[in-house]
Amino acid sequence: MGFDQFVAERLDRLLGYATAITCDKHLAQDIVQNVLMRAQGKWERIGAMDAPYLYVKRMVTNDYLSWRHRKAAREIAVERAELARHVPSTADPADAHAEREAMRARIAVLPRKQRAALVLRFYEDCTDVEIAQVLGCAESTVRSQLSRALQTLRAHELARSATLGVHS
Amino acid sequence: MNDLIRQAIAAEAEERVDSRTVLAGLHKAEKRKPFGLIVGVATLTAAAAVAAVVVPATIKKTDASPAAPPAASQNVLLIGTDDSEFTDALVLARFDADGSVSAVSLPRDLQVGEEKINRLYGQAPEKLTGAVEQLTGVEVDHYAAVDMGGFGRIAQIVGGVEVCLLAATEDERSGASFPAGRQTVEGDRALAFLRQRMGLPHGDLDRVKRHQAFLTGLAAKINKDNAVALAAEVGRSVRVDEGWDVLAFAQRFQGPVEIVTGTLPVGAPVDGPAGQALQADPGASRQFVADWFGGKATPQDGCVR
Repeated sequence: MGFDQFVAERLDRLLGYATAITCDKHLAQDIVQNVLMRAQGKWERIGAMDAPYLYVKRMVTNDYLSWRHRKAAREIAVERAELARHVPSTADPADAHAEREAMRARIAVLPRKQRAALVLRFYEDCTDVEIAQVLGCAESTVRSQLSRALQTLRAHELARSATLGVHS
Repeated sequence: MNDLIRQAIAAEAEERVDSRTVLAGLHKAEKRKPFGLIVGVATLTAAAAVAAVVVPATIKKTDASPAAPPAASQNVLLIGTDDSEFTDALVLARFDADGSVSAVSLPRDLQVGEEKINRLYGQAPEKLTGAVEQLTGVEVDHYAAVDMGGFGRIAQIVGGVEVCLLAATEDERSGASFPAGRQTVEGDRALAFLRQRMGLPHGDLDRVKRHQAFLTGLAAKINKDNAVALAAEVGRSVRVDEGWDVLAFAQRFQGPVEIVTGTLPVGAPVDGPAGQALQADPGASRQFVADWFGGKATPQDGCVR
């Protein structure tokens, strides 16, 4: 597959993925753009792979998880944590939209690697094996990252229901 | 709960930017012209700073352009023009491979042959670069001329430039009215700060120091958030010599840069055909520039007249 064709077919999806793991569309744009520029330089090799998309996705993920973006990631997390604190108390439990936004805020404050695993599972529908490839870790690590993320989200969900129950 | 997670992540992904903007960015990068970038490098006294700081901040280099050639140092003459074709600021800046910039201001009243140096650019840019080369013993690789009237807006874009005055000063002609001490200037006040030479103990020589202080203060205020707006503003008012690929030049700097400014030593005032001028001292000038560009540049104290 040629580079141009790859970009035409996958760019939008890649941006969606990057936005979901970073929770920051501008950071996502920067990362995707930089990664594609790098990928273009060695496309002969990447294009010949069985799964170029998986490889590029791995580049994007690494870029985000690498130290370079650590500061930006923290700033966003702080902002979202603020949001997460406020959302439960103001949300209408009957409102599906509010519920979804509350969940978004909770996902945004997960540790980055856990969030990446979560997005790969629930947005990209990856198997444990594929997630392990993208994150560059063992399958057992993928499972533990996912279960920890789900545990955190569930605990919040319970706390939220309880809070709302008291208020309503 | 899994459905809720799925929906939440999909909603987050929905926020993504339009892929066309990324495509456009990729195509521009292919042509090695990320952003209509600026011409930035240019600019008067401040050009040195603006360019070298703005450009890298805007382009976000990372390792995206491994093909960039190893940077050799280059000498750029920065020319500040005001309303007339006379130049109000002349700065010879050496951009080094490591991103540092050493700049030497040339007083505009320097006597060159029968004329003052500030008349030459209006006659022919080559006349000016030739004179500077002869005076300093350094080859001028490129020049950039900028309309200094834009600096009020430039200062505004960065939220004001901090400067420090040793004494309070007033001057009707330039509209200057400043207290002593640290202060932030922008807009008309920034212009007055850059233009005032009446009422200062050393006239134009003090103004040169102000240009330098402004440059340093401006460099300190440039960041990723204001770089784009700044680049656009700077680009509007700069002219560079033909054949200078400013973008390629600017891309080599990783920023942030360190700028050290100094002033060319001059001889005694003389009465020339064009009014009072400052005598050039080629020997001392060449020595000074050689030292300054050779690593002996030293930062100056922050407060000016």
